[in-house]
Amino acid sequence: MSAAGRRVFGLAVSVVIVAAAIAACRPNGDTGYVEIKTVPNAPVISTALYIDSAKLAPIRKGTAILRQSTGTFKLQADGASGALAQLCEIVVARNRITTVTVSVLERPPRCQCRNSGADAAHTCVS
Amino acid sequence: MMTRLPAPIQAIEARFPAVLLFACALIVSTDVGRAADATTSAASPVEAFSEQLEAFQKSVPDLNKSIEDSAGTIDSATDVEKARAEIGRLKETVSALLGAVSDNGPVSQLGAKALDHIHGKLRALAQDNRFKPEERQFLIEQWKKLEVQTEGATKELDDARAQFVGLLHTLQDNEDFIGELLEIRQAEKALEVIRQLTHEIRDASSQLNKLIGGIKPPGT
Repeated sequence: MSAAGRRVFGLAVSVVIVAAAIAACRPNGDTGYVEIKTVPNAPVISTALYIDSAKLAPIRKGTAILRQSTGTFKLQADGASGALAQLCEIVVARNRITTVTVSVLERPPRCQCRNSGADAAHTCVS
Repeated sequence: MMTRLPAPIQAIEARFPAVLLFACALIVSTDVGRAADATTSAASPVEAFSEQLEAFQKSVPDLNKSIEDSAGTIDSATDVEKARAEIGRLKETVSALLGAVSDNGPVSQLGAKALDHIHGKLRALAQDNRFKPEERQFLIEQWKKLEVQTEGATKELDDARAQFVGLLHTLQDNEDFIGELLEIRQAEKALEVIRQLTHEIRDASSQLNKLIGGIKPPGT
């Protein structure tokens, strides 16, 4: 395919992707944020964290803010047996930030919620 | 009966699709950029980051205008419910822009990708024997210059992200407090909180404007 042909093809693909993404980004495609703070604060933490089964990039400078679809998710870490160990649940609400502090010195790491809501023992809400 | 909305609210409503569209375009552009990588020059991750950053900076005056208009509307509001609706709209705007600079957002990810690319280039050049020593030295110096600029822009983006997070926290915490006040029929106190909130919003907006406006995209 010629360079011009590739460019036109690329543009067409981009238009399709953008159109699909705009459809996906309509206000009813609700998203919020998860703010993860780690203590003690370190340039990069080695503890691998997961939201459900998705592994998070190493957290730099003790904090990360992640865009997340709304709903309830498990914050997990690598467990001693090799399986994932659940630290707490995180409820993500539309256009809101749910903040959780993870103490990474403990084994397994421990969650501290900024707001646990009225009736949730181990669930962080926004 | 439908009531006609005040002009500032109409203006915000008119701009909101543009802000949302920009945020969505930023979100997908990483994928577009990834697809283009195979055919573009070696410097493209840095260029892509620089372009996205400039596009993001261009969106900030609109954000400030929205915030100023909203703050003005909230200031003059005597109806708590209208003010609450305005806070909801502000949250929507701030949230859309935070999406671009969040750690898993397109601008931040392009910044990390650009830095990886620069570090890889510097490692490769250190072992590259194709060029004369002075030529290699020149290339290394140029890449190091780009490294400093990219690290600087990334750091400033981190600060802007923290400001966005702070602003969204302020909005949601005040929204909750106002909700609690209304539950105990303290509408007057709620209006006081709302007025105080507009000062905080204006301060945050002004800081964001300075921070983001001051970011220098690498290679420019």
